[in-house]
Amino acid sequence: MQIGFNYTLGDTAPLVRRLLASRRIDYVELLIDNFLSVPLEDLVEGFGSPVGFHIMFSKFIESDEAALENMARRLRVLIDRLNPLYVSDHIARFTHDGRQLYHLAEIDYIGDYERVRRRVDWWQQKLGCQLHLENYPSIMDGGYDAPHFHERLHRDTGAGVLFDVSNAVCAHLNCGVPLQAWEGIIEASSHFHVAGYNLSILAPHLVVDTHDHALSDATLAFLERYRTRFDTPGATITYERDDNFDESEIDDDLDRLRNLFSQPPLEVRDAQRV
Amino acid sequence: MHSVSDGRVTDADLLDALSVPARQGDYPRDSRAFVRIDTSLRVYWHTLFDICPALLELSGPDGLAIFRPFMAWAHEHKLSLNWTYYLWVDVWLQQSSFREQVASELRYALVGASAARWATGDRSQFQGIVLGCSDLPDLVCGWKTASLGGGREIERIELEAALPAPDGPFGYFLVSGRSLDDGFPGWLTIPR
Repeated sequence: MQIGFNYTLGDTAPLVRRLLASRRIDYVELLIDNFLSVPLEDLVEGFGSPVGFHIMFSKFIESDEAALENMARRLRVLIDRLNPLYVSDHIARFTHDGRQLYHLAEIDYIGDYERVRRRVDWWQQKLGCQLHLENYPSIMDGGYDAPHFHERLHRDTGAGVLFDVSNAVCAHLNCGVPLQAWEGIIEASSHFHVAGYNLSILAPHLVVDTHDHALSDATLAFLERYRTRFDTPGATITYERDDNFDESEIDDDLDRLRNLFSQPPLEVRDAQRV
Repeated sequence: MHSVSDGRVTDADLLDALSVPARQGDYPRDSRAFVRIDTSLRVYWHTLFDICPALLELSGPDGLAIFRPFMAWAHEHKLSLNWTYYLWVDVWLQQSSFREQVASELRYALVGASAARWATGDRSQFQGIVLGCSDLPDLVCGWKTASLGGGREIERIELEAALPAPDGPFGYFLVSGRSLDDGFPGWLTIPR
């Protein structure tokens, strides 16, 4: 398993360099659309490591086609030159009735399916590569429809899932989506996200995907349980942190991930015991 | 009040309420829907007051004397709350009871916050934005990051000779390069 760290802002460049130098991470996930105005050669030089591309604000389900085509042309240049490990984007609502949603909302996985499928087909074509689409950290009951939606979308468009392990845990804790419901997607996926989360201020407490805490026990248990299914050839897992950059906490989490994926397969360990 | 305790409620059901504080009361206080809406509203709150904390000196520490009426006004006027969020807060303040308390520096902070939000959120090929206010003399520029390790830059420019005032409270123009050498192309009206 290759382990990465997300890079979204200039402020965390020293942290990223230290994590690479200490070999805690193998690659850097660039929130690539934040850096579209950076000269190409600067990005090619980058951190001197492999990269993943995470597209945050294409809003490809909602934006007008002309703006997306313009963005895709620039992204394709970067994809060709930097040869990222994966290119990912988001399935979410960024606006409603013309108003920006600062806390992104979950789509209607059934009612919106055809529109999303057409847009995924179109956006993959414009980018010229397979997209990996991240699962949403569900709060409300629509989350029950997410696993089947992603399986269907994969079947119909070839798009992969950037399976966010802790988002699935959020959905499980918030609305009861069983973790087992994602088994087929885990089997079919090679690229993963993981992060800490926090509770809402008000009760009844919701689990909110905040990327500002250590990995939870529930997330680590989920990773442990499905470890051999996550850890397939070419697989990546990106540890996301966007606030509260407690470096010793981040080191500890990355060490936990490294240790977890350094263990021999369970079957081998069991056989040795026998 | 919506009854959400028995039936299935999805995010899509709550969309109309996610940015409208008055709609939160449509849901039972102990429901997930109520907390979901609260979580959404808090992000709008933090997006405003974390960036411009001087607003709290006007409103009091919870910010609600500004936040709630502004959000209601924004809903009434169908504002997008995109990068122009802070500009419209200034427009609202200028017609509110806070008007006499709003110092120029706070107003420039609001304009700078909108320039910064444009510089980090815009995905076009433009490199910069220039904002002008009808009753403030200086321009405020926002520049997108130009290096992998850098960040957006905000610049306040004092003019030797004033530009024509924009038609509305604010005007803007976009810049393709990294300088203002191409001169003044005229003001665009800020989007709602």
